[in-house]
Amino acid sequence: MIGAAWRSLTRSKLRTFFMMLGVAVGVAALTALASVGEATRQETLRQFKRMLGTFDTLTIRPGAGSTRGMPSVSTVEPSLKFADGPAIAEGVPGVLRVAQVQQTFDLDVSYRDESVVPLVLGVSSNWADIRDEAVASGSHLTEEDERALARVAVIGADVASVLFKGEDPLGKVIRIADVPFQVKGVMATRGAGPGGASLDNMLVIPVTTASKRLFNRDYLSTLVVQLRNEGDSDRVADDVRALLRERHRIIPPAEDDFTVSSPRATLAQIQQVGSTLSKIVTGVAAIATLIGGAVIMSLMLIGVSERRREIGVRRAVGATRADILAQFLAEATLISALGGAVGIVIGAGGATVGALLQQLPPAYMWSMIGGAVALSLAVGIVFGLYPAWKAANVDPIEALRS
Amino acid sequence: MIEASHLSRTYTRGDGTPVTALRDVSLAIAPGEFVVIRGASGSGKSSLLNILGCLDTPTSGSYRLGGENVSALSDNERSHVRSKRIGFVFQNFNLLPRATALENVELPTLYTGAAPDHARARQLLAQVGLDGRADHFATELSGGEQQRVAIARALMNDPPLLLADEPTGNLDSAAGESVMQLLTSLQREGRTIVLVTHDEHVASFAEREIVIRDGVVASDTRRRERVQA
Repeated sequence: MIGAAWRSLTRSKLRTFFMMLGVAVGVAALTALASVGEATRQETLRQFKRMLGTFDTLTIRPGAGSTRGMPSVSTVEPSLKFADGPAIAEGVPGVLRVAQVQQTFDLDVSYRDESVVPLVLGVSSNWADIRDEAVASGSHLTEEDERALARVAVIGADVASVLFKGEDPLGKVIRIADVPFQVKGVMATRGAGPGGASLDNMLVIPVTTASKRLFNRDYLSTLVVQLRNEGDSDRVADDVRALLRERHRIIPPAEDDFTVSSPRATLAQIQQVGSTLSKIVTGVAAIATLIGGAVIMSLMLIGVSERRREIGVRRAVGATRADILAQFLAEATLISALGGAVGIVIGAGGATVGALLQQLPPAYMWSMIGGAVALSLAVGIVFGLYPAWKAANVDPIEALRS
Repeated sequence: MIEASHLSRTYTRGDGTPVTALRDVSLAIAPGEFVVIRGASGSGKSSLLNILGCLDTPTSGSYRLGGENVSALSDNERSHVRSKRIGFVFQNFNLLPRATALENVELPTLYTGAAPDHARARQLLAQVGLDGRADHFATELSGGEQQRVAIARALMNDPPLLLADEPTGNLDSAAGESVMQLLTSLQREGRTIVLVTHDEHVASFAEREIVIRDGVVASDTRRRERVQA
């Protein structure tokens, strides 16, 4: 049956080519788009993970509303106090620990003649541990550093390479806004965050030192709340909100003077945008495949009327209607399946090229490829059925008379 | 072999009026007979041949083929009867143009469920004098050769009955002569042959002549004695 269908197809190559084309294009588009989308999604996830360190946290920022962008301690509302940190850690069940952060982007950091303007983070000593940050050399900030308002810094890989040019930074004194700090560690490389910007152009100092000796601010730009159990995130967020409203003496209808967000929610939002886009694109590709099916149907119908005599002969020598139906259905399905196979090869090739151009590791969405195979078979069967039915119902007497 | 009694066939025209092509036709053909059916176009001979070939069913009357009442069979069952018991030879040969001679001869085995018997197909091609042409496409053969391939195809499933509709109509006289010789030799093998023609010379090969006129049997005459195998 398949052999007979194959022979029939190879005998009108041009028509077979056009029949395959539509399905091939549709399936190629589906495969490529889905795979590029998957590669992008995986990369977004990796970038988020790098920026946030972990997902088992909540982030609290001063001010209501928008959480977009990176607030600087010099621009935020002074609503988030140091004491809010320990209060949350002790007062809300399910909270493991809370890191306090003051951050700014606008300070010159220099060593001899070199200077950079990195992200400067004042952090509590538990910050590195919560975020699972590693040091490449030296050591992290300690509770003792925090208590003593020590002028010590742990610098990011980019800062180290720009300021020290291969020199060992450990023990050297850098100046942050002209205040001398001793380098006690260099952080391990963190890579790129969402959007592709480097996450290594930064340094951390004790938050106490930052507050008293550098920024002269007694409020925070961020609290990072680590959860005991990631599944608790919504409940803990509610409790934190209630506690902070009480501590900040906010009475309804006044709004929160802080914003609690969870990395999961933010990530889901971003991926939602991506997934809406990919649904639209997938729909377009599916429509292309259906158009391919319609091409198969119309060319098959032409084929049936051209092959009426062949059908009559086959019926005369003993073919039943079912035999004729099966023959034409096999041809349509074979065409469509071959078109699908060509499309998958082209699509996977396209996805690989696309991923390499974006400098991402290629990812193949196997479920989508499996779906494309099923789709092309289904297209062949669905769009082949009517022509095959027409063929099966050709009257052999009429067909042989001509 | 063939027992047809009181066959009638009525068609309905596009405008709904009925047309009677066959009217109360009864005839019997014995195994091994070579019968020619003659008649003007529109006489009903094609309708009769379609019923005898199990391509069509009579509106009334019964048709028994080899003792079995085939006029009451379903479309599927008639397909099986055609497959096993009837070989067709057409005026325009009706070979599959993009298949080789051998593939054309083997076509009927596709619908028997059996594996194609290449040796038998080649032997049949040899029998019709085309052993050198097995791998030629139908379009590469002359008309006479195509008709001989068609006869080999008709014989592939070894049917007892051959139905030929103007088999020499598209051939020159030499090729027509050789096709008629071939059919005569098949009768000697014991096959029953029913042939429809206008051609008096072609009709002279048959031992019995049935003339159809206006849907009825106008005459049924024995032209010569039975050729003995």
